[in-house]
Amino acid sequence: MTEAMIQAEGLSKSFGAVHAVQGVSFGVARGELVGFLGPNGAGKSTTMKMLTGSLLPDAGRATVAGTPLNGRAIGARAAVGYLPEHTPLYREMRVHRYLDFVGQVHGMGRRARREAFARVVDACDLEGYTERRIHTLSKGYRQRVGLAQALFADPEVLILDEPTSGLDPGEIVRIRDLVVRLARSKTIMLSTHVLPEVEEVCHRVLIIAGGRLVADGSIGELSEGVAAAISVTVVAEEGALLQWLRDVPGATAARIVARGDHGRLRALVEVDDRFNVAERVSRLLHDKGLAVLELRHEVPTLERVFLERTRPAVSLDPSTEVSA
Amino acid sequence: MGGYRVLPFARRELRSAFESPVAYVAIALFVLVLPALFFFLGYPVGRVPLPGLWEGGQASLIVLFHWLPLLLALVVPALTMGAWSEERRSGTEELLLTYPVRTGAIVLGKFLGAWVLTLLMVSLAVLSAAVTVDQLGSLDWNKVWVGLAGAALLAAAYVSISQFVSSLSAEQLVAFLMGALLLGLFWALPLFVRIFPGDMASILNASSPTPHFLGAFAQGVIDLRDVAYFGLVTGAGLLCSTLSIESRRWR
Repeated sequence: MTEAMIQAEGLSKSFGAVHAVQGVSFGVARGELVGFLGPNGAGKSTTMKMLTGSLLPDAGRATVAGTPLNGRAIGARAAVGYLPEHTPLYREMRVHRYLDFVGQVHGMGRRARREAFARVVDACDLEGYTERRIHTLSKGYRQRVGLAQALFADPEVLILDEPTSGLDPGEIVRIRDLVVRLARSKTIMLSTHVLPEVEEVCHRVLIIAGGRLVADGSIGELSEGVAAAISVTVVAEEGALLQWLRDVPGATAARIVARGDHGRLRALVEVDDRFNVAERVSRLLHDKGLAVLELRHEVPTLERVFLERTRPAVSLDPSTEVSA
Repeated sequence: MGGYRVLPFARRELRSAFESPVAYVAIALFVLVLPALFFFLGYPVGRVPLPGLWEGGQASLIVLFHWLPLLLALVVPALTMGAWSEERRSGTEELLLTYPVRTGAIVLGKFLGAWVLTLLMVSLAVLSAAVTVDQLGSLDWNKVWVGLAGAALLAAAYVSISQFVSSLSAEQLVAFLMGALLLGLFWALPLFVRIFPGDMASILNASSPTPHFLGAFAQGVIDLRDVAYFGLVTGAGLLCSTLSIESRRWR
């Protein structure tokens, strides 16, 4: 069995009456790059904080590199490099001073710090920016400094909380490439809202919703559980449209997934693929005198997996309230 | 193992103080205001007001030392208000809690940084005044050094309490106001003890740092009970800060 570098066992955390994380368990093997997904407020950051030792669970146990994380877990904390959401940094400090401080805090000697500095400046492409004060840097470069501090002590495990949040497309690609390079030698847990990014780089996906882990597997494995579907974009009255779609033979569920201008609706129809449902839907809408703006087969993307697992489906049962 | 690295935090605290205007303004004000009060105003607080240097004509720093507990009660919270509140506001506190160091080491490091800064400020003000007085008359330098040692202990107690207060709020201004209010109350206790019955008055008087500094150190005398008092208060402040920061892991 592959050694688990990160192990969460029944992690739970509440803030007053809010149960932020409830009984979350998973393991991340050495060398894995795992995407950690969930809607805002689902418990991603709270879980990550418990995996770095900055927050202790009310129940359950987090272990990193075989050492449990608790208030005295100096060893476990040394094995983790962490980039928190919003990249908190000492903005008044110069980049090189800040990174040197991080090295000192990790107990690295002068020579080790010098070598680590050269390594992270190269890895994070910070050449030419190390004399600058952090507050004078662009958001993308501040993000790189945040990554550089996480990498400075060469930890075995990296926990990155939305490292590409708020960056321009060019910066996103550069940070993503860096994460891929790092994944060759490290165990990485990456939280993000950019699903194509996860599809592109992650070996495995964890999805958390409402504080509970709702999916754990490779993208291929998770996609298998998603029903075949077609999506149709049309200008129509919402209730009537869902009613008509419900009646199409072969349709098993339908819901509105997007609302546009001028009454434009996009409906997702889950189908039993023994039927040629797309043709029937097309004919139906034509008969109703509606202009079909788009009709397409939906491949089971991570986006669909995410939506399926994190949002309750609207069934075709007429007694169910329509929502999207 | 380990995790007891203190100096990186002390150096960072000291350096960051000089990278913002707060330290310069506070030090400049202190170095200007303290000698000015000493030379011209005297110490008109309490039952026996003391005259200023020019009026009193005595080659002594006693009046200057009398001002220290009150001025430090205002300046130390200004120097330390961001120690923890800024870490909390900016989110860097979360990162600190993930580093392989003990919370007590971070607290001690931050304390040392701010204490050294305060000592620099007090030494600058006291020694510049002492050199001036020494030109005018025969100054007892032993009393100056003992007074400075007492001021160092007083500053340690103030820094430790103010940093604890800073750990309670994410707003620097709130931390400053709370710190100044608390230290101001401590300073003022001896002024109000007369309204309390005997034992209570003694306890309140003994809990204020003012008599522990002015009673012996400012007179050039080292009393081990005063040293123990300042050690106890400083230790209590550091312990409270450590518990306050460590409790964040449970919040």
